[in-house]
Amino acid sequence: MIQANDLSKSFDQHEVLKNISLKIPAHQVVAVIGPSGSGKSTFLRCLNGLEMITGGTISVNDHLLQATDNKKLRQKTIHAIRQDTGMVFQQFNLYPHKTVIENVMEALIVVKKQSKEQARVIASQLIMRVGLQEKEEVYPSKLSGGQQQRVAIARALAMEPKIMLFDEPTSALDPELVGEVLKVMKELADEGMTMVIVTHEMKFAQDVADRILFMADGQIVEDSEPRKFFEQPSTERAQRFLAKVNEF
Amino acid sequence: MDIVIDNLPFLLKGAYYTLLITVVSMFFGLIIGLITAIARLKGNRFFRTIARVYVSIIRGTPPLVQIVIVYYGLVDYGIELGALTAAYIALSINIGAYVSEAFRGAIQAVPIGQTEAALATGMTEAQAIRRVVIPQAIRIAIPPLGNTFVGMLKETSLVSVIAVTELLRSAQLLVAQYYVYMPFYLSIAVMYWILSTLFTFILSVIEKRLSVY
Ligand SMILES: Nc1ncnc2c1ncn2[C@@H]1O[C@H](COP(=O)(O)OP(=O)(O)OP(=O)(O)O)[C@@H](O)[C@H]1O
Ligand SMILES: [Mg+2]
Repeated sequence: MIQANDLSKSFDQHEVLKNISLKIPAHQVVAVIGPSGSGKSTFLRCLNGLEMITGGTISVNDHLLQATDNKKLRQKTIHAIRQDTGMVFQQFNLYPHKTVIENVMEALIVVKKQSKEQARVIASQLIMRVGLQEKEEVYPSKLSGGQQQRVAIARALAMEPKIMLFDEPTSALDPELVGEVLKVMKELADEGMTMVIVTHEMKFAQDVADRILFMADGQIVEDSEPRKFFEQPSTERAQRFLAKVNEF
Repeated sequence: MDIVIDNLPFLLKGAYYTLLITVVSMFFGLIIGLITAIARLKGNRFFRTIARVYVSIIRGTPPLVQIVIVYYGLVDYGIELGALTAAYIALSINIGAYVSEAFRGAIQAVPIGQTEAALATGMTEAQAIRRVVIPQAIRIAIPPLGNTFVGMLKETSLVSVIAVTELLRSAQLLVAQYYVYMPFYLSIAVMYWILSTLFTFILSVIEKRLSVY
């Protein structure tokens, strides 16, 4: 489903991702963890073209993006990739000038060219799925963080993505609101969605993920099953990271 | 006082032209300004440069000079415009530059995460700008645009020099006829003031309307 070969990414001279190669099969739930600044967000954003890779290739649902592609080809590929991926951001990024249901309808109307009526039906079902049916006509500013993030998930799901990307979806939330968002994500995982989740929620990673990618300094330092990773991390770097996390 | 009341219809006609010129120039200025702002922020180097030079020239030259160039200057090239048309053109071009600055600031004030969220759902850059960024930018731009438009209303008095009978020229004509200054000039001052206040009020209503969220 996702395949990276020698993927690298630099901002000017600063190399943030270094020769990353990996394969993520369909229906796998991957948790990406690692210290701040290790390149987790950048890696995730390379997967849907919010950052353009500067070396190597990346293939998402058979759309192949190469660092050497010219601008036109690149735009075309990224556009195709984004049709198949949904993304959820740490800061939700809901459209503040649109109601909950309009937020979810927007891409259906603009990208999929559906009629308003069609879009409304689909959006309504998705909002129900994340448990916010009574908030359809409300503006995002009137919602709690947890509710906003669930709307953001519904908005991403509206495009029927094959892959969902999450960048620290619960990091901006009050602790008591984290659970409701994780619950929706777990349901998605149980339904077989392919997911890549950057997270600091170790327990969630352990319980829900099929696989842990541990990143440090722009590389995937460890790639293993959750149990193995949390019980017997093989690298010294991961051991130190986990020791630090466990202090809290 | 009586001479003012006797000539009120004439003055009101001047006020009508002042308002007309303001509204027409505002309308085209908004379009020019929005296009210029987008050209400056998203255009390629060519369009960015054109837009920047345009804004720089307009902001760096007196509006009066711009008006006489459009009305008298263009005649040298065989372009003879009616006074009112020249006023529309000169003022639209003038205000477009200021509007573009207001829009540019407002577009930049919309968080980048909004664009990214839109792109991530599969929108093209143009769709993201149109559907997500511009609607939010317009709301942010309203207070500075309000100032620009009230400034515009007052600047329309400059087109009296090309013999458009707006408020100021109406008063000047009456002064020439009756040889008294104060009543007429005071009356148009009051009229400008009423119009400005009205504008400010309308804009605040629009701003409220747009801030439902
Ligand atoms: N747009 C950018 N321009 C320049 N440097 C950037 C940019 N985005 C990220 N970086 C740099 O890339 C490195 C990795 O950043 P990234 O955001 O991917 O880390 P992260 O692992 O997600 O960290 P965190 O846990 O704090 O979110 C950092 O050193 C950061 O400063
Ligand atoms: Mg990050």
